[in-house]
Amino acid sequence: MGCGRIPDGDSLFRHCIHPVSFSRKTFALEKFIHLRRESDDSLLGSLVWERFVPTVRHVHKRGCEMAHQRNEKERARGTFKEKYRSVYCGAYELKANSVRALVSAENLDEVSSADVIHHIEGGEIAHTDLRIFLKPGSHVEATKTAIVASLWNAFSGPLFHKCVCDLDIDPHPSINLPRPPAGEYSDERSWLLRLWCLIRFQICYRFWRIFYEAQSNI
Amino acid sequence: MRALWTTVYHQAMVILGSTSESSADISSDPARSYSYTVHSGSSEFDFVEIPPIRSESRVLKTCFSSVPVIEQWELSQKYQELGEALSEMITLEGADEWRIEPSVYHAASYVAAKLMEDLVPAPQIFTHGPESVVFNWSDHDDNLYLTISANEISALISSPQRITRRMDYSGNQLLNPSHLLPFAHSGRPIILISRSDTDLPEFIE
Repeated sequence: MGCGRIPDGDSLFRHCIHPVSFSRKTFALEKFIHLRRESDDSLLGSLVWERFVPTVRHVHKRGCEMAHQRNEKERARGTFKEKYRSVYCGAYELKANSVRALVSAENLDEVSSADVIHHIEGGEIAHTDLRIFLKPGSHVEATKTAIVASLWNAFSGPLFHKCVCDLDIDPHPSINLPRPPAGEYSDERSWLLRLWCLIRFQICYRFWRIFYEAQSNI
Repeated sequence: MRALWTTVYHQAMVILGSTSESSADISSDPARSYSYTVHSGSSEFDFVEIPPIRSESRVLKTCFSSVPVIEQWELSQKYQELGEALSEMITLEGADEWRIEPSVYHAASYVAAKLMEDLVPAPQIFTHGPESVVFNWSDHDDNLYLTISANEISALISSPQRITRRMDYSGNQLLNPSHLLPFAHSGRPIILISRSDTDLPEFIE
């Protein structure tokens, strides 16, 4: 279920969530984009769409929820370990057209199509697929790195954050998120547009919750 | 385009015996833009020093204050942390997105060991799936990536604007991974400092 094509100029956000024990000294945490191979041989990643996280506060709220859900999932499995507790540190932003531009990126000939598609997943209205198709015969792992390198150049941020449940972590790993080449995030929407985005989100979200709960009760 | 690393110099320390003409001052060499004097002391070896006698690292840090100086123990420590990080990535429970295959772990460990032998600065690492791990060196906004799979290795150089170069190699070429890294450092020289009094530091340009 989705909302049609995401406009080129719309913002998408990638949350930085990692095990608390992963030190910034050793790990390039900001470059971690999990790209899993699907049955149709596409590469699939996850982002959130600004339309359904209309303010930075909503972006962070979603990030904290994701980290919490991961920890709860591990607790339910009985595999939770404090040293591997998922911590949300912040987010980076990129535009939808930066993803679509991968097709024509220099030294990235393996990409035949790249797009971001709104796809509600696990009851999360803001979830968006980052889907990339490669040409046959491509060296997948090397191409994934090239995709990550290209996307990293297009990200802006970081938007730092500490979730309430993680305030005990000192120092918090969010302080180590680096600035990407495109610079800091800047919300260029006018206040009127932001207000409209917020109202639209509230209306969509309330309808979605009614629909989702009705589906869950069936 | 940055110049490739082509030359390795050994930068010798000036070590004089107590019987040498140690009382004479050696004035600055205008061609080198640094000055040095010889200090005569009571120890068996005299060291060039600016200012008082300490380890050779202080001399080099003063002479090449804009050049990164890495102590050998520091390099070893960073690679040890790298090895521990790779070990964590195969033993993770939960956090499946960060896990790598054991075969990838072995390949990456081998490459890391070779890089350390060749005095390449320790990289950061990340992954985008279980079938490879990426070694990453950054210099401001330029990046060098080495993608290590079980049987293949790829290098990629990226500027803030675009990917500038990519190279793919087969598993056989894992034998000499350092040769795949023309830009293993930023292109600036680094100086490796050894704790041993008798080891000469290497000046790598």
